[in-house]
Amino acid sequence: MARLLGSELIKIKRKMILFLVFLGPFGVIALEAVNFGVRYDWLTGVYKDDLWKGLIGEVSMLSVPTILIGLTILTSMIANIEHQTNAWKQLLALPISKTKVYSAKFLLTVILLLISCSLLMVGTIILGLALKFGTSIPLVHLFKMCFYPFLAALPILALQIWLAITLKNQAIPLTVGILGTIISMYAVAFPDWVPWKWPLLLNEWGKPIFSVIAGILLGFIIYLVSILDFSRREVK
Amino acid sequence: MSDLIIKTNKLTKKFGSKRVVNHVDLQVKRGEIYGFLGPNGAGKTTTIRMLLGLARPTKGSIQIFGEDIKKDKISILKKVGSLVEYPSYYGHLTAYENLEAVRILLDAPKSRIDEVLSIVRLTKDAKRPVKGFSLGMKQRLGIATALLGNPELLILDEPTNGLDPSGIIEIRELIKSMPKEHGITIVVSSHLLSEIDQMATQVGIISKVIFQDSISKLRERASSKIKITVNEGESAWKMLLSHGITSDLAQQSIYLENGSDEKVAKVVKSLVDNEYSIYRVEEEKKSLEEIFLELTGKEGGL
Ligand SMILES: Nc1ncnc2c1ncn2[C@@H]1O[C@H](COP(=O)(O)OP(=O)(O)O)[C@@H](O)[C@H]1O
Ligand SMILES: [Mg+2]
Repeated sequence: MARLLGSELIKIKRKMILFLVFLGPFGVIALEAVNFGVRYDWLTGVYKDDLWKGLIGEVSMLSVPTILIGLTILTSMIANIEHQTNAWKQLLALPISKTKVYSAKFLLTVILLLISCSLLMVGTIILGLALKFGTSIPLVHLFKMCFYPFLAALPILALQIWLAITLKNQAIPLTVGILGTIISMYAVAFPDWVPWKWPLLLNEWGKPIFSVIAGILLGFIIYLVSILDFSRREVK
Repeated sequence: MSDLIIKTNKLTKKFGSKRVVNHVDLQVKRGEIYGFLGPNGAGKTTTIRMLLGLARPTKGSIQIFGEDIKKDKISILKKVGSLVEYPSYYGHLTAYENLEAVRILLDAPKSRIDEVLSIVRLTKDAKRPVKGFSLGMKQRLGIATALLGNPELLILDEPTNGLDPSGIIEIRELIKSMPKEHGITIVVSSHLLSEIDQMATQVGIISKVIFQDSISKLRERASSKIKITVNEGESAWKMLLSHGITSDLAQQSIYLENGSDEKVAKVVKSLVDNEYSIYRVEEEKKSLEEIFLELTGKEGGL
């Protein structure tokens, strides 16, 4: 698997993929910097009890749609590297199981998104310090708000990878991904079983961890089903 | 171990109800350049995809190196290099990076990259993005990629398709040199007989199914005819028939199939005795193209 990942890392060179991994969190932090810069007095008034919590809440409101749109674009770009010249027939005629090839792509996107989440966490700390919110940073809460939405979005990630890899026409996964992102923005009103609601970490028990556990479980199930499907498919 | 590198048994592929490959029995021996010949749409690429485990046979079996592709796909593919249809490459990467992305997967030594680059003469262009390459260069990169793992069997699907004449010659020479220099077995497909004729030592023709033997055996089938041109063809033909000699008449010339020396002598004597003027006696060889057309036009079985 290390060799497969090494190969994947070579292939994403010069593809703007690493740039996107950086752009996502940077964009969120930059927008929040503007938000707090323009409405500093008003926002610090609203969040005067806990400035850090206020900042983290504002950040995560932007980060959920950013993660969803980001994973849509990322998975499509990574799959498209193989689609472009139908490199699948070369890759899958190598002595490696299809399961491993698929899993490597999955793992790659997970790693890239985890990097984005980490950057978001670092960026939030820097912004908070720059806004002079003090040094008593609620690190555990910050960690949760940066990584939980991504973990809860794993079913969506698994679905997008599946679509992007098995369909040559990337218009389909992109459309599904964009629609999903829009749905998630209105998902507060949806029933708890809708996976596009999970990244918001809202459920009737008020426990974000439930959304995360559901996300990891369903994500894993979709991953298993998609691997079966990918292994069964013939390569053009 | 037997000397058969590839052996298929009644290999069949259907897409829906359409039989694209029908009962193909391939036998490729070690060290041969096996020319896999057939018109466009005959099922060459489909057969090759099945050999590589990219597609599943509807019926029949495939053995490579004596192992079954269904059971031992990975262990077979370790010893196989392939280039299917048009080349696959990562355009945004350089030739070197393209090879590196595959080398890592094969766990081949890094030095192998320079070796295969020099085999296909791309050393100078190794640091350029592949999207700027000509088709011939991309094709050579594809062959370099196929060679990375030091394969014992190289499967090349129409490697000269779409190349200009100099590119074709280059690839052809490359292919011909490999069994000699690297001791590998090659399967090369083409829809052009001349192509196969110039590279292959064995030939298998696929269409509605057919012929599998050495190229020289194929040439032997290019049996000759004797063409005799006389002043009055039709009446001479009838005269010969009345003497019990069967021949064909076309454009006022008489054709003898498989004319032995004695038969030709007898015919000429009859013609002279009956006072026909003999203008010409010629031997006409059937071209390989004619044989190819004859074979692919008819139904049969490989
Ligand atoms: N995936 C597929 N689905 C349906 N038909 C196919 C598929 N792949 C190939 N064919 C058909 O099978 C026939 C043989 O194709 P192919 O193996 O590419 O022939 P060749 O390589 O000899 O030109 C063609 O008629 C082609 O249209
Ligand atoms: Mg073909």
